[in-house]
Amino acid sequence: MSSKNEIIGRCRANIRERLPRPTLSDLDPTVYPDPLEKFISMAQAVGCNVARAKSKDETDIIIKETYPEAKVIASNLKEVKAATLNPDLVPDAQALNGTDVGVVKGELGVAENGSIWVPQTMRERDICFISENLVVILPEHRVVSNMHEAYREICFNDYGFGTFIAGPSKTADIAQVLVQGAQAARGMTVILVKSE
Amino acid sequence: MSTSHSKAAEKFLENQTYAKWHDKTFWGVRVKRDKMAYELPEWERLRTKASELKRHTLTNIDRYLEQFSDAAEKNGVKVHWAKDAKEFNEIVYSILKDHDVKKLVKSKSMLTEECEMNPYLEERGIDVVETDLGERIIQLKGQKPSHIVMPATHLSHHDVGELFEQELNSEKGNHDPTYLTYQARLSLRNEFLTADAGMTGANFGIAETGDIVVCTNEGNADMSTSVPKLHIAAIGLEKIIPDYEALSVFVRLLARSATGQPSTVYTSHFRKHRPEASDMHIVIVDNGRSEWLADEDHWETLKCIRCGSCMNTCPVYRWSGGYSYSYFIPGPLGINLGMLRNPKEYAGNVSACTLCLSCQCTCPVKINLGEQIYMWRQKLDSLGVANKEKKMICKGLDMVFNHPSLYNAGTSLAHILNSMPSWLLENSLNPWAYGHKMMKFPKKPFHKVIEEYRKKEEGKQ
Amino acid sequence: MKVGLFIPCYVDAVFPDAALATYKLLRHLGVDVTYPTGQTCCGQPMANAGFEQEAEPLARKYRDMFAGFDYVVAPSVSCTAFIRLQYPHLLGENKHECKIAANTMDVVEFIHDVLRPDKPLGRFPHKVSLHNSCHGVRELHLSSPSENVEPKYNKIKDLLSLVEGIEVVEPERPDECCGFGGMFSIEETAVSLQMGQAKLDRHKATGAEYITGADCSCLMHMAGVAAKEGTDGGIKFKHVVEILAAGL
Repeated sequence: MSSKNEIIGRCRANIRERLPRPTLSDLDPTVYPDPLEKFISMAQAVGCNVARAKSKDETDIIIKETYPEAKVIASNLKEVKAATLNPDLVPDAQALNGTDVGVVKGELGVAENGSIWVPQTMRERDICFISENLVVILPEHRVVSNMHEAYREICFNDYGFGTFIAGPSKTADIAQVLVQGAQAARGMTVILVKSE
Repeated sequence: MSTSHSKAAEKFLENQTYAKWHDKTFWGVRVKRDKMAYELPEWERLRTKASELKRHTLTNIDRYLEQFSDAAEKNGVKVHWAKDAKEFNEIVYSILKDHDVKKLVKSKSMLTEECEMNPYLEERGIDVVETDLGERIIQLKGQKPSHIVMPATHLSHHDVGELFEQELNSEKGNHDPTYLTYQARLSLRNEFLTADAGMTGANFGIAETGDIVVCTNEGNADMSTSVPKLHIAAIGLEKIIPDYEALSVFVRLLARSATGQPSTVYTSHFRKHRPEASDMHIVIVDNGRSEWLADEDHWETLKCIRCGSCMNTCPVYRWSGGYSYSYFIPGPLGINLGMLRNPKEYAGNVSACTLCLSCQCTCPVKINLGEQIYMWRQKLDSLGVANKEKKMICKGLDMVFNHPSLYNAGTSLAHILNSMPSWLLENSLNPWAYGHKMMKFPKKPFHKVIEEYRKKEEGKQ
Repeated sequence: MKVGLFIPCYVDAVFPDAALATYKLLRHLGVDVTYPTGQTCCGQPMANAGFEQEAEPLARKYRDMFAGFDYVVAPSVSCTAFIRLQYPHLLGENKHECKIAANTMDVVEFIHDVLRPDKPLGRFPHKVSLHNSCHGVRELHLSSPSENVEPKYNKIKDLLSLVEGIEVVEPERPDECCGFGGMFSIEETAVSLQMGQAKLDRHKATGAEYITGADCSCLMHMAGVAAKEGTDGGIKFKHVVEILAAGL
């Protein structure tokens, strides 16, 4: 017998009583009167710099103002004209090492924890992690209150990867002192773009 | 009368400065957890739902496992099944060998710790590099995790600084945590870039979609899987949950309970291999879990989502440290998991509980951890691992208490004391006396006092 | 309403004053209270140590002794909690139908929930630090556990508010364990004492003259630690009932 059959068979034999699935209809999760406002304050609380743009065209200006020293800017977004590297065209994932600023699209902001759903929309997704600073562009009308709402809305594309990102990479593994910038991005900027 | 835990704890407490720091540090995490919990009015409902969802999933785990593996295979992921630690290690090694892997970077996984995978692979020539900072620190130090979420928190920044001076050539005497974290980043960055494969554990497996969900703060699971060509995910079978609706409950509880954050920095869903990468493999591990399902008293331990909050709140953990437990997972959870794994071997941890029950009040999935420890204690005698002295005391107590005449003789002659509850006595045979001074015994026990009081009452009437 | 007074073994031997105060206070509140003779122990120390079978005959004895009463009241939280939670299965009875377990109450919850006094009780012009014991908080629900997100309440505080002149304070970490744990204090002496000392220090840091609580076993543990410190640790101990009955 294969290990699969053996394991599943043993589970089946050892289950004593099948218990029903609870409904979440009476959970009554917290919903914020102004999810965008809460999102901004939570994103800041988890270490993000939050900028507002009237349109996508302001993206470049904000990036330049926020990261004036940046030499290597990686993005596959059309509006990021300052990009010097394209994660769709690099020879391998390693080639994105040394990126000062990576710019990606976010699809959904979550107010309760300041996180943004970033699905993979580029060939080499390490841009989201390997860049020293990560910029996520998010349409400001795409913010929900909590993770229940978020998980009802997120979509996958053919790349088959997506991640909620809440601020720069962090650790407190040395003596419980919080340090930003562990293995992935050391800084993060959210650019909220006004709905057009 | 001592146990393996009590002996180790006594040693731990010899360094009072360190012990006090340890208590304060982990209590600090508990306080952060409380703050997060109190921000959500629905907190207790979330815990109840999380518990019910786990109870449902575990009692239908056969179906969810099938659904999960079907979905993953449909996504092009190769699914493997490991009955035990040995089979798990063999599977991982054979995947690595097939891909000619020399270096494996891995994110935190208590499952690989449980299966002792690292030494197995290292013996076979694979360079295994832990990438969670805490795990990396203890790997360089040659230690085991002292906590399931904060594996190196038992070390001070000086300990880490000195370690990095030796291992990473960091500046002598610079023990600033920010500087040290940066040194580790530089060193690990090089490992990510040169590794042939990345391995992750899994916080959740989603039956409906086949996703592996990994939560980290450092982004090391993402670095491990977005740079090297091969991804292997290891998942204990109890980590499968039905779908995103269920997941939304657990992710709201996990980081809040674990570290007092509203979420981890990264909550990553791995569904397929990268376009440029060769493969994604998932290894589903049983290693005793399917047997534990049958245990009427203890199966709910399988609900655990590994947040570590039971350790942070446990006063015995805080005052004795992770290494005083003989099982590789410490604290209330580890006491119970150790007993499920091998009760004879790990019975020495069962004493490490005052039954204060704080653990089960913090547990986000409402495992009755303290009550389970109580139940394990009842089983020690039949397992042949009960302490003989303790047994004698309890038998002695029973004899005294079942014979009122003996009991009354004992209490009225508190100075003779032969038949008194022995933990009340201060003498060289009584360990309780080592830190307590016996309070002066009242001259008369209550049952004598009341006789006289009633006589007085009657006299008045 | 017929009430049986249960005085557990160590209260009998070590805290006769608390036991007598319980008797007096119940009488003062108009309760028909009886103290059956021949009482011993509830069985908790053996069961918590892993020898439930030794507690079984004690449970049966207890059931027989108190069969005729509407309530059994005891000035000991952890004994009450043990009877309430473990007697049903020790006696082989259904959890929801075990009458003797359901009718056993700690004196604080009995006065607070059943008698519900609204007139002032005794007078105790002192600052006291309240010890919220684990089994009181997390098993008998005398107060809301700090871990749980629920409206805050504290039945002991409610009752103490009926005492004239008293100032009630709580230590930092107000419901953290004192480290007694019955057999725990023998098996895990070092940790037990460390916890006891830490708890005692937090109580003392409040500047209170007394530590009070509903659980004699915690008080006994902390008093033992305090006594070892010398000068009685600079703080005194009184069961909450002794304060409620002060001056009666």
